[in-house]
Amino acid sequence: MALDIEAATKLPPKVITVRVRRYNPETKKIWWQEYKVETHKGMTMLDVLLDIKENTDHTLAVRYSCRMGLCGSCGVNINGTPMLACQTQVSQVTSNARPVVTVEPLPNFPVVKDLMTEFSDFFNKHRSVKPYLIRKDTEEQENPKGHLKMNPEEFIDILQFSNCIFCGLCYSSCPVVAADPEYLGPQALMYTFRFINDVRDEGHKERFAIVDSEHGCHRCHFAATCSAVCPKAVDPAGAIQGLRSKLFKYRLGFFKKKSSEVLSAPPEKGERVPLPPEATTLPGVDLKQFEKEPVVIKLPKE
Amino acid sequence: MSDDEKFRSLEMENRQGFWKASLNPWLIRAKNNPERVAFVLHRVTGFIIIAFLLAHILETDSPVWSQYAPINGLSGWAAWTYIMGIESAWWARLGEWIVAGAVLFHALNGFRLLLTEFFGLGIGKPVEPKPPYEAPTLNAPQRTWLYIEFVVALVLWAFSAFLIFG
Repeated sequence: MALDIEAATKLPPKVITVRVRRYNPETKKIWWQEYKVETHKGMTMLDVLLDIKENTDHTLAVRYSCRMGLCGSCGVNINGTPMLACQTQVSQVTSNARPVVTVEPLPNFPVVKDLMTEFSDFFNKHRSVKPYLIRKDTEEQENPKGHLKMNPEEFIDILQFSNCIFCGLCYSSCPVVAADPEYLGPQALMYTFRFINDVRDEGHKERFAIVDSEHGCHRCHFAATCSAVCPKAVDPAGAIQGLRSKLFKYRLGFFKKKSSEVLSAPPEKGERVPLPPEATTLPGVDLKQFEKEPVVIKLPKE
Repeated sequence: MSDDEKFRSLEMENRQGFWKASLNPWLIRAKNNPERVAFVLHRVTGFIIIAFLLAHILETDSPVWSQYAPINGLSGWAAWTYIMGIESAWWARLGEWIVAGAVLFHALNGFRLLLTEFFGLGIGKPVEPKPPYEAPTLNAPQRTWLYIEFVVALVLWAFSAFLIFG
């Protein structure tokens, strides 16, 4: 979900009621618990949950790490929308007319305890699409002699998709994942597209073979909720449609993969020719005067 | 219960399943997402069209199957005329009108999906991500097509009411 920047400037209701869907794995009991929390300006939902954990109920299980929307650990379902708790302002989800907010674990993930969910299925699907550069010349890949060429436009093509933080919000909001547990999911398919788009990569045939299946990219119905809830604008919905159109071309035999060459290595030290001193000094500097009174700068010994 | 079974049972508890996911566009409340409404409508209209198709096959085939299973003691062309009589009732016409709306929406939305899914048209190009982080596909031409298609389907649906009830 796009960041609500204005929400941080608004004042949330003084006291809010938080309804948390809890789960105890030992007794297998699911119940709703209500907490009253005093708020302050700029308070996020993660602050609310940690406040509960610190002052009211120590048994509440929450997963978090960075508190600034970079690690993707604190994804929860707030008022029915999968969101990062650390990026959601209390003023964004509550109002003075309705100072109640419900917090649930992410749907489509098995729950470990309370708000913590099990991500192993999600990561296994991510691994299954080979999320790494594949080169035909494996020897060159193991012992690279130079950089691979890539211009800024080609870099922008993959930058957006590389921004994924693996928070699992897209996966939890997908109606197809809800219906088909084997479906690869928006995140894995987006990563496939990211590597097929990458000019340095040469493993598109292997990846097309993986996603061209019953539970692959053809399963997507373009509900686009994945893009609507994504906190980093990675846009998995657009990526899956791009992947499909490329796969369509590939199956018809029209797909042409852009390839990248290996740049020649930089010259050795001895080959470098130093510039004349006139070219490296600022205008107005008298080189002859400088020779008479040199400015000596003592560098610390290594 | 083994660990794997435990994992699966936990998984199913928190998964909404096919019916809830296909019939409720507000199962996940996301802002700025009419595509989800279109997805649910596409699926529901698909169900309506399949139901109509099955009924249509039964109806056109009635002179044959009524010889083996007579309706109200009628068989052959008499059964056909009887079924045609039922279909001129107001509720059958209402059903016909609903089918007309379903076909209109399904066809228009299907055309949009063909363009986006097979040819990659109307979806956003990758951009440099900047706050407030809005996905480019949600502001791309496919969104405009979606609104146009909603309006055109509604107008044609209203017109089909004149043809069916008029």
